[in-house]
Amino acid sequence: MLGLIGASAVVYYVYNKPHRDVSKEKGVQLSAQNLYDAFRTNETEANKLYLDKAIELTGEVGNVSTNQDGKVVVDFKTNDPLVVINCTFKENPGNLQPGQTITFKGICTGFIPDANVVINEGVLVK
Amino acid sequence: MKFVLAFVLLTIGFAGTVEAQKVFATRNGKISFIAPNDDDVKAVNNEVTSRIADNGQITFSMLIKGFRFKLAEMQDHFNDQYLQSMTFPRADFKGNITNLADVNFGKDGTYKVTVKGDLNMHGVTKNMSATGTIEIKGGKPIATAQFTLMLKDFNIEAKSVTDKVTVELNCQYQ
Repeated sequence: MLGLIGASAVVYYVYNKPHRDVSKEKGVQLSAQNLYDAFRTNETEANKLYLDKAIELTGEVGNVSTNQDGKVVVDFKTNDPLVVINCTFKENPGNLQPGQTITFKGICTGFIPDANVVINEGVLVK
Repeated sequence: MKFVLAFVLLTIGFAGTVEAQKVFATRNGKISFIAPNDDDVKAVNNEVTSRIADNGQITFSMLIKGFRFKLAEMQDHFNDQYLQSMTFPRADFKGNITNLADVNFGKDGTYKVTVKGDLNMHGVTKNMSATGTIEIKGGKPIATAQFTLMLKDFNIEAKSVTDKVTVELNCQYQ
């Protein structure tokens, strides 16, 4: 009987554990260029510092698009024309334009060389 | 004169190279991992970087932390216990279309392709091949494929959940 209650508790926990909410976390404050430089210089070290962490980026919006599931994606430019910081919003942030300066906070999922640093599940801070 | 001729030939050569290869890319392609026996176990990654060149070269890179599950607890297990994503944060595929002659990148249409190459995941590199389609629509490719990966091939131990995953790929290129 106790086993059954225990098992039920585990099942309840598995099905109800909330997803991470980055808006409640304090982010590491960086510029797009700082973040890219860290990964370009030493990916292993940068992963230790930033992978799975809440990152708060302030910078100029380079490009605005939507992904294949309709989520808004903002690219921040770096000094390398091939490389951007690719940021996906969890909720629609409203109207954003290239050239606008914004602060975005999300969870860093890592680096793809010659392409992008990826941050997702993000929110617009300001 | 010889110098000028060499310069002209070199210039034509470079222009020719640029002209010869067209590369299509996306930073937000989509790849899903699905456990064939349990619909609840489905993870979606919408930040797949992929490039496809009209010479047949094709690459996919995806970050393991970028796979999102409906259930947060499963996402944690996937990252911490099965894929060890802090140690192996990225999976990369690099390969070629083996039947390139069947694909016309310059003409809208749907083309069946076979892609062969190396997939590196969880620290293991494995040569593999899969079939799929490339649809050219308005001059831009959309790649789709569905295939199965055996987890033991990549030294991934997740027997309590599944021993294989169905991979669904859908990448719309610019």
